[in-house]
Amino acid sequence: MAEVMIAMQDLKKTYKSMGEEVHALRGVSLNIFKGESVAVMGHSGSGKSTLLSIIGGLNHPTFGTIEIDGIDLYKLSQEKRADFRREYLGFVFQQFQLIPYLTALENVMLPLTTTSFTGREKREMAANVLCRVGLNGEMKRLPNQLSGGEQERVAIARAIVNEPPVVLADEPTGNLDTRTGIEIMELFEKLNSDGLTILMVTHNPNNTQYMRRIVLMKDGLLNNDDADILQLAACSKR
Amino acid sequence: MQLYNIAFNNFRQRKAKMLFVLSGLVIGIAAIVSVYSVVEAMQTEMARQATEFGANVIITADAGELAFSYGGFTLPEVMFDVEKLTNDDVAAIEGVPLRSMIRAVAPKLLGVVGTSVGRVIVMGGNLQEEFRTKPWLRLRIVHEEPGDPEESPGGTDGAEVQDGMDDKYIDYEKLDLAREDVSKLVLADDEVLIGKTIAVVLNVAEGDHLTLGGREFRVFAVLEENGSAEDNQILMNLPVAQSLLDRTNEVTVIDLTVDYSLGSEEALLGQLGQALPNARIVSLRQEALRRDQLLTRLIRFGTAVSILILFVGTLVVALTMSGAMRERTREVGIFRAIGFRKSHITKIVLLEGLFVSIPGGIIGYLFGMLAAIYGGPFLTGTALYVPWRFDLLVSAVIIAIVVALVASIYTARQASRLDPMEALCFF
Repeated sequence: MAEVMIAMQDLKKTYKSMGEEVHALRGVSLNIFKGESVAVMGHSGSGKSTLLSIIGGLNHPTFGTIEIDGIDLYKLSQEKRADFRREYLGFVFQQFQLIPYLTALENVMLPLTTTSFTGREKREMAANVLCRVGLNGEMKRLPNQLSGGEQERVAIARAIVNEPPVVLADEPTGNLDTRTGIEIMELFEKLNSDGLTILMVTHNPNNTQYMRRIVLMKDGLLNNDDADILQLAACSKR
Repeated sequence: MQLYNIAFNNFRQRKAKMLFVLSGLVIGIAAIVSVYSVVEAMQTEMARQATEFGANVIITADAGELAFSYGGFTLPEVMFDVEKLTNDDVAAIEGVPLRSMIRAVAPKLLGVVGTSVGRVIVMGGNLQEEFRTKPWLRLRIVHEEPGDPEESPGGTDGAEVQDGMDDKYIDYEKLDLAREDVSKLVLADDEVLIGKTIAVVLNVAEGDHLTLGGREFRVFAVLEENGSAEDNQILMNLPVAQSLLDRTNEVTVIDLTVDYSLGSEEALLGQLGQALPNARIVSLRQEALRRDQLLTRLIRFGTAVSILILFVGTLVVALTMSGAMRERTREVGIFRAIGFRKSHITKIVLLEGLFVSIPGGIIGYLFGMLAAIYGGPFLTGTALYVPWRFDLLVSAVIIAIVVALVASIYTARQASRLDPMEALCFF
């Protein structure tokens, strides 16, 4: 039986917006297993991004618990949680979110900045990861000198350079053309096949075919029936 | 890749903001350096003037309660039978260990002699030293037989006042005998200098002869009127006066010009007291204190202005950095999301402050020195010597670092406290 990597139990999140309470999550319980790739789908406002931010240790849930690799994330102090993110989680943001004044190589080296690796080791690790995502000659370029697809690859390289067990991706193909989007999803698929656990929030149904499981969210709750259907559909497409 | 790479690359990318922050620092540091340099140069100049000109130690015989005033200072009345200063006392001054602090020793004998129109005050002294201690004294040399100026060895001012009548020629240029020309003032034993007021009373001019105490003297020159005691005195060499007044070996007062920058005032006065046990030694401390107070006020004013400018500079740096950080909110969110601690964010911001402060300190020092060198004399109306000093450069850089770090602290706290979720705004 596969080992649980992420265990969510009755997660609730309530915001105050314009004086009114907004229930972004109404009680989500979900297990994600090691080496699994999960696509979280749903309409805007369904709570999928809130769920991703809570899994990322960036957004304290109003209620419920979440454990990653057996560690209760929100029992850690803020600083310990930062350390945890560095060691366990890789983030791929929606709009790449590269640091504009750092080169591709330096952007990839960012998560290693506060580690004890030597400068040379950091450079080698970053260069290797860039090669792994298909970027060899663009290491010294600034983000604005790279195409959207290249920037996305740099963002993915940054997310995996410190070899985290889990990668969280938020709409990774949202700003890419179809062809580049397919290349990126194939890259995610490859990373998953290498053993990485991937949780991806996406609007794009085409992306689901590269994921092993699809979770559908609606009004802050998991819609299990739909998810099963989509999962089957995705499987049938392959 | 280290935190300082992030800080450095950020500045490289945001050149305009960096220049703005840099300019705030440069202005603040330049203000401090220029004010400090000008004040210090003025202090040095005032000290130099204070010690170069004018007597600042007066030595008189210890007369107890019996005294009269000379030039505003209490002197023993020579008529009374009290302890007297002598040539031996003058020689004793030469032997004090801190003699190098004394720029001029001006012993003098004061007395009264009869003339055809009444009694006049005679002052015998070492006239070259006397003119050194009294730079306000001026005289005009007149000669009966003009010579060929081209043959004169007198230098650019054309004045040659060496002993020997044949070598003298008329020159109406004023001699500043307090400075380089003082060595030219050599009087023969039958020559006197005469104060302007007494010259009018006696109706004598340069080259005239007059009789003092039964001896005939030639007027070497008439002093220009200056409002001091010398206007009413006849000046001659000390041995001549001692002979004329029949007070061989006697001295009434010894004026000293002391350079206090060369050593301890207390130590010198102590040594003089030991060398001259029967003398009363008065240091013109009040004058020195008055100068000190003036300088202190100047320094306080300069410091206040500098602090104000530095404060404004600090605000400029703080506001610019804070504004720049607001633009980088998302960036901070990324750093936090990928595992940077609050302390890492704080370090990045402080490093940015540090990076801009070092060139800020150096450039500020350079601008401040240039302002002091070229603007200082213009503003103060005095020729000032402002030296380039390495210790001031180091101080400027240290101040710049402190200012930049202080200015960065708020921004650093602001940045480190950002909620990564809000900073990112991506979920």
